[in-house]
Amino acid sequence: MSDIIPLATTTQPTTQPCKLHPQSMCPAFGSLRILTRIEGSHPVMATDTGCLYGLTFVTHFYGASKSIVAPQLGTAELMSGQVVEGTRAAIEVAAKEPGARLIPVVSLCVAETAGMPEELLPRRIGDAEVVLVRVPAYAIHSHPEAKDIAVAALLNRLAEREGHVNSKSVVLLGEVFPADPLMIDAILRRMGVSETIFLPGRSIDDFRRAGRAGALAPLHPFYKESINTARNWGMPVVGGAPVGITGTYAWLKSIGNILGLDPALVQQVADEERAKATALVAERPLSGRVMVTGYEGTELAYARMLVEAGAEVPYVSTSIGQDPLVLPDELWLKAHGTKEVIYRKALEEDVAAIDRYAPDLVFGTTPLASVAKERGIPAMYFTNQLASRPFFLTGGMSATIEFVASVLTKGERYRWMQEFFTTAE
Amino acid sequence: MPPTVLRDLSDTSGYWAAVWSMCPMPDVHVICDAPVGCFNLVGTAVPDYTDAVPHIENLTPATMTEQEVGGKGTQDKVKWTYDNLAAQGILKDKHVIVVSTAESEMIGSDHSALVKQLGVGTRFYYSNSLAEDEWAGRDRVLRWLWDEYGATQSAGIATIPTAVNIIGPTYGCFNAPSELAEIKRMIEGAGGTVNIVYPYETTLSDTPRLAAAAVNVVLYKEFGTGLATDLGKPILYAPFGMQDSISFIRELAAHLGTSVQAEAFIRNEKRTTLQAVWDLWRGPQGDWFGTLDMGVVAGLSHAEGIARFLGDEMGMKVVFAAARPRRPGDYDNESIRQHIHKRAPSFLFGSMNERIYLREAGSKYTNFIPAAFPGPAVRRAVGTPYMGLRGCVYLCQEVVNRLYEGLLNFLPVDAAYAALRSPAAAIATDSHGNIPWTSDARTLLDSTLEKLPYLPRISASRQLQMTIESLARQHGHQEVTRELVEAGLAETKQ
Repeated sequence: MSDIIPLATTTQPTTQPCKLHPQSMCPAFGSLRILTRIEGSHPVMATDTGCLYGLTFVTHFYGASKSIVAPQLGTAELMSGQVVEGTRAAIEVAAKEPGARLIPVVSLCVAETAGMPEELLPRRIGDAEVVLVRVPAYAIHSHPEAKDIAVAALLNRLAEREGHVNSKSVVLLGEVFPADPLMIDAILRRMGVSETIFLPGRSIDDFRRAGRAGALAPLHPFYKESINTARNWGMPVVGGAPVGITGTYAWLKSIGNILGLDPALVQQVADEERAKATALVAERPLSGRVMVTGYEGTELAYARMLVEAGAEVPYVSTSIGQDPLVLPDELWLKAHGTKEVIYRKALEEDVAAIDRYAPDLVFGTTPLASVAKERGIPAMYFTNQLASRPFFLTGGMSATIEFVASVLTKGERYRWMQEFFTTAE
Repeated sequence: MPPTVLRDLSDTSGYWAAVWSMCPMPDVHVICDAPVGCFNLVGTAVPDYTDAVPHIENLTPATMTEQEVGGKGTQDKVKWTYDNLAAQGILKDKHVIVVSTAESEMIGSDHSALVKQLGVGTRFYYSNSLAEDEWAGRDRVLRWLWDEYGATQSAGIATIPTAVNIIGPTYGCFNAPSELAEIKRMIEGAGGTVNIVYPYETTLSDTPRLAAAAVNVVLYKEFGTGLATDLGKPILYAPFGMQDSISFIRELAAHLGTSVQAEAFIRNEKRTTLQAVWDLWRGPQGDWFGTLDMGVVAGLSHAEGIARFLGDEMGMKVVFAAARPRRPGDYDNESIRQHIHKRAPSFLFGSMNERIYLREAGSKYTNFIPAAFPGPAVRRAVGTPYMGLRGCVYLCQEVVNRLYEGLLNFLPVDAAYAALRSPAAAIATDSHGNIPWTSDARTLLDSTLEKLPYLPRISASRQLQMTIESLARQHGHQEVTRELVEAGLAETKQ
């Protein structure tokens, strides 16, 4: 090993900050969160112990209180090719759980498990479907995108395509605050929608019923595999989301068009909703410069709402990759004063943006929020504080902007804390 | 041999052990040869909840993608990462260590030659993550740090007669700040001075000074003995409980030649710190300990120590004490889970895993007290030790306060207030006269109550009886049948 190793020369443009610290949860977490929350679902994880420890740790905090089994995969098992055998043994253990109806096999980064051949796993065991969900972090890059992988895998296996299609029903796709589905369902029913199915939720049967819905409406812009699945079925897909004033108006009209609802009724509901949202903003406009830099894949939509509410949002960054699904929001933002939209962002880019834009408020990842607080700038963890409130339609807009407005008044406390902890005396 | 199936790990891998042991030292920078997830979990997502830090700042990934996994290897990425960190001045005055992960080991990445082409002093640590668990990993990385950064440079360092090292605490060690504060206090009380707390409160450059200590105290039995052995001085383990703590002080003092001071410290501690245990023991609270049962699943030191103090000294009945790593005969998580599902003890010390098993079992009468990772817990206040003399007081106090909490939750509150919120709640207490119970029904109720911890049993018995009888009245039954009991139990499980 004494030979000099030939290495590629490092070329890094000097104008852009170097992407040294990528910002995403472990991508696989996105799928585990969804898979552990389904009733009767008992995941099997095929991976090494460090990965298993970390992923179950965060899943037991943010996902569900659910015991998780895994084959032991150390050097001995990997070298002797026991990955499939061990996984099958773990599937049998999972199948013994009371009420087991779904056993997602989650394969992760260790090369041997990432390439697990699905045909060597059982398709069913007892009452449970066995579904392979491949989420190697090195290929998925962000946890929102892993949510999509999990949902698509379940739809492909479970969705029922036979039988009567309920042409006035719609599948709404995306993890949302529990109050959001109630509000969305109510407004859609007023327009003539017969049924809404929210995925991913607690019910495995919702995945089955989803196959016979009239349309798919992704509420978040990273469900591209799931959208492909719907398109392959010939199920129409609704673009956009019911976010903010213009976004909600366009979305409601689009749902009406795609489902063939009564145009006059749809127009009436859309007009009412737009008037309510406009009045809300007129009554309580936001003012201040806000950076929206989470890693949930929903950042552009939040930025758009805040801009409509009166805030200045010069910089938006997210963990997901650039994609046609996010493009409308990006174009809208750039037409409304946003100077930069960064995909697959790294900590360095967000930190440089704090220096460049001197924001009044930062929503970011935990490392970024801590950097902002070290500068005395009000900052919060996007995931815990923004992404966990009502967001959609006027009700969600009201909850979200009211919260943002209240945080914008807290500058004094953040400056006091910074001064207290950074001065020596 | 049939494959082993794991349930809810209690410990992590050698890679985590390495990062968590190296990164508390501010003059270290670790480049992990890892995909994004192994960087995020180890550096941010988990230490947010184990150590209450926003993120580990001196850790950078050489982010592995499809390209690297697909045959290119990770060496270019490691060099790119090193060069860019260096260009930004982040590596100034730092010892750089490249650490492997299970994922990089699987594709055969060995950077021991590559690091020689990076800045002077850069080293490669093979974390052996596919084979080594957290405990073996923690033990080995401490030895490696001494071998690489301490042993040869320590030649001229003389032993200071009263100096004591504390070996072990790092990121991801349960309750480390409090345990450490108490053990330091006891070392000083015994007449010693703390030399180095390794690696929690030192720098890597200071590693050679480990040689100056006369005694090494290993904070956690589950790792650290390797380094303590290499240092060649007497080894003591941080104690739990009254007797072991007193023995620890005496033994340490014997090594240091400070026995007179140590005996005075012991006398004073009995009159001050430990007086609380004596007071509780003589008071009504002390009576409870002998009537309670407990289980513990934790790191070896905590599992042994909590069982020894609350069991052997205070008289609680220890139904299981399972250590991680497991000693011969210790329950694995599968067995712990079955045990809890069958009958949960009134106190359970453990991790998130045991907490989940309690929820699955609907054991709302069990007091869960965190005693191990995994699981989110802020333990940064230094006043919550389980170890040492103050640990005895804290554990007693915690148990008694939990009992108070449970009892207060059971005292009757006038039902009219509940009826204000929900009219249905009023029915449960709307009792007039007795309803006869069939013997079948009575047997089922009794066997259900048998499974509950002793103290809440009395109150639960009254509550269950009331719920079932009101169900009987609601449905116009003249007697309580087995079916009604089943329905009542199902209702209260919700």
